[in-house]
Amino acid sequence: MASPASVSAASPSRPASVSAAPPSRDATRHVAIAGNPNCGKSTIFNALTGLRQKVGNYPGVTVEKKTGRFFGSHGEPMELLDLPGSYSLQVRSPDEAVARDVLLGRQIDTARPDIIICVVDASNLERNLYLVAQMLELNIPVVVALNMVDVAEKNGVVIDVMALREKLGVPVIPMVATKGVGLIELRQAVSRSPLPPPSICAQMPIVLEREVMALARQLPVAHEVARGEALLLLTLHDAALDAVTHHDTAIIAATRAAQQRLLTAGIDPLSAPVDARYDWIGRICAAAHHHGDSHHAASLSDRLDSWLTHRVWGWVAFLGMMALMFFCIFTVAQVPMDWIKDGADALANWVGNHLPAGDLRGLLTDGVIAGVGGVVVFLPQILILYFFLGILEDTGYMARAAFIMDRLMSKAGLHGKSFIPMLSSFACAIPGIMATRTIENRKDRLVTILVAPLMSCSARLPVYSLMIAVLIPGHSALQKAGIMLCMYLLGAVVAFAMAWLFKKKLLKGETPMLLLEMPPYRMPSWKGVALRMWERSGLFLRRAGTVILALSILLWAMATYPKPSDPQAPPAEALAQSLAGRMGHAIEPVIAPLGFDWKIGIGLIGSFAAREVFVGTMSIVYSVESKDKEDIEPLRNVMLGEKRANGLPVFTPLVCIGLMVFYVLAMQCISTVAIVRRETNSWRWPLFQIAYMTALAWIGAFLVYQGGRLLGFQ
Amino acid sequence: MNPFFDHLAVAAIVSGALAFFVFRFLRKRAGGKNCGSDCGCGTAKAGKVAR
Repeated sequence: MASPASVSAASPSRPASVSAAPPSRDATRHVAIAGNPNCGKSTIFNALTGLRQKVGNYPGVTVEKKTGRFFGSHGEPMELLDLPGSYSLQVRSPDEAVARDVLLGRQIDTARPDIIICVVDASNLERNLYLVAQMLELNIPVVVALNMVDVAEKNGVVIDVMALREKLGVPVIPMVATKGVGLIELRQAVSRSPLPPPSICAQMPIVLEREVMALARQLPVAHEVARGEALLLLTLHDAALDAVTHHDTAIIAATRAAQQRLLTAGIDPLSAPVDARYDWIGRICAAAHHHGDSHHAASLSDRLDSWLTHRVWGWVAFLGMMALMFFCIFTVAQVPMDWIKDGADALANWVGNHLPAGDLRGLLTDGVIAGVGGVVVFLPQILILYFFLGILEDTGYMARAAFIMDRLMSKAGLHGKSFIPMLSSFACAIPGIMATRTIENRKDRLVTILVAPLMSCSARLPVYSLMIAVLIPGHSALQKAGIMLCMYLLGAVVAFAMAWLFKKKLLKGETPMLLLEMPPYRMPSWKGVALRMWERSGLFLRRAGTVILALSILLWAMATYPKPSDPQAPPAEALAQSLAGRMGHAIEPVIAPLGFDWKIGIGLIGSFAAREVFVGTMSIVYSVESKDKEDIEPLRNVMLGEKRANGLPVFTPLVCIGLMVFYVLAMQCISTVAIVRRETNSWRWPLFQIAYMTALAWIGAFLVYQGGRLLGFQ
Repeated sequence: MNPFFDHLAVAAIVSGALAFFVFRFLRKRAGGKNCGSDCGCGTAKAGKVAR
């Protein structure tokens, strides 16, 4: 047996060779919430914890760790851990591995839960019960939250809850989480003390059970996890067994010997437990689960899907929804944006009136307020974006979008599952890239990571909005929304094209078959959507108040110092002589073919840290340069009036479109680079990504500007 | 305002902004693989765990 010294200190989970001594525990009960994806797990989590949530990471892996606090029905504190959605403990992806490790007490930083709330989709009972069957083998008290009973009822499914309780031997709480039905009963069930561990589980064949118990006795783990651990090990092969045991040769040898004995006895250790569980589930469903009238089977979801997944109407619906989203961004958001702009202007005026002229006043008005205010003004647009994305996700439409995209994605050598991370990247590439961990194939995952940042994220929205306002200042919201939609589509089209190229040349592999669960449509959880909008706005404002603020201060300093030797020099000359001006001039030969001048160059340089800084930078550059500081014009008017040395305007339609195309295609987010580095565990791929996307952006902007000029546009 | 104090205040604010990025870089390096970006996927808590 391997000694504890064989444990690597950097391992994210404890190997089976180390005794699973739990971290120190206080009086707080640790509850884990588990279940299949799309079963309403997060809705229940949000309902129980409200705003008392924290989002972090499990150490060593890029899996989100969501914890929250709630109080039991007797006021006792409980810590709730939202486990990643899993179909079973037979893992296929890093997040399912984390769920398994937490439940087996193998996750170093996370205490093994005292109670498991296993959320089950009542409209899909048989499939969901598989995970329940595995939970019951873990010797941890389980409460089954039978969610979406309303959907099951609409589908004509009748569930005998009493029979289910009796067959499973654990509390079963019928719920409609989106309406808060069953929450009180769930809280009461979890608060029962003591809540006994399950006494019923699927019976394995006797020969298999003997081998499981024999192997369990050899594992130096706590008694309560030994059987679960042994059953897991017997179903693993080769590389998976090696990884889970952290190369513990003694355990690997014992496991392989047990597997061989089982095979000799005519029992496949991989499939026998699965068959046993499904047999058991079959008997439970026969007793507790009945389908009603057959004409209910053509549910509302099916009828909607006949349109929304149609090869023509599906696309129409998808594009229509995206167009509606952008239309709202340009109309509904305008009023609050004007309020924020007026507030920033009023603040700048107040500072200007109360501080004497000097660098400090300049820093505060032209640096901080112009820089941060220039970004914060787009908060309403970002909230609308997240509102729509939240609705699309909550209603179950995202899976349909992936299905529609599958036909297109398969031409690029990917399957529709890759589209979900890409669709998430419309909000932010970082969670989109992290969502690629659900893609089993390594090459497909890598290709998706490489192209995901091409999907226009929310940070590009301020840039597009500013350029569109400069491009077509007086035109209708519909036209502006149309241009915005074109930019988003451009990103998507180029992403598909690059994915095709990468699969053909760089990361060759077969086009996988799509196997995707399409959850039934449901009303969105407005509370969940609101919570997500609250979280994102908090993150956006925190970023504005930290990174953007600090960047704005530094950019102002770079645009102000060093000052020209002649204190009477005009502001334009002072800007040109500053550090930022010199950097802008330095890259001007590279960007001149794109129609960009050195001031745009300053904006591009700043944007490589964070895209939305471009707007703040332009505000700073033109504020610093402004002769009349009493009259704060909208930035777009200042940009519209900007002229080159030859008297021609700088921001022509070609330059505006070229700039937008540049921002569609360029990799301008240090945070995304950091995440790609982490997800790929190497600098090679993020550096390659920066290089190819920068090249694409330059070529795209070049084609727009020079191609447009050749065609006679100016 | 006395020009000296004016420049001192500006220098202090700009130095603070620089120090922010230096501290952020050092904190991310100390957090190692656990450290996420500032989009909410990684937090100081994860960094503390790693330390």
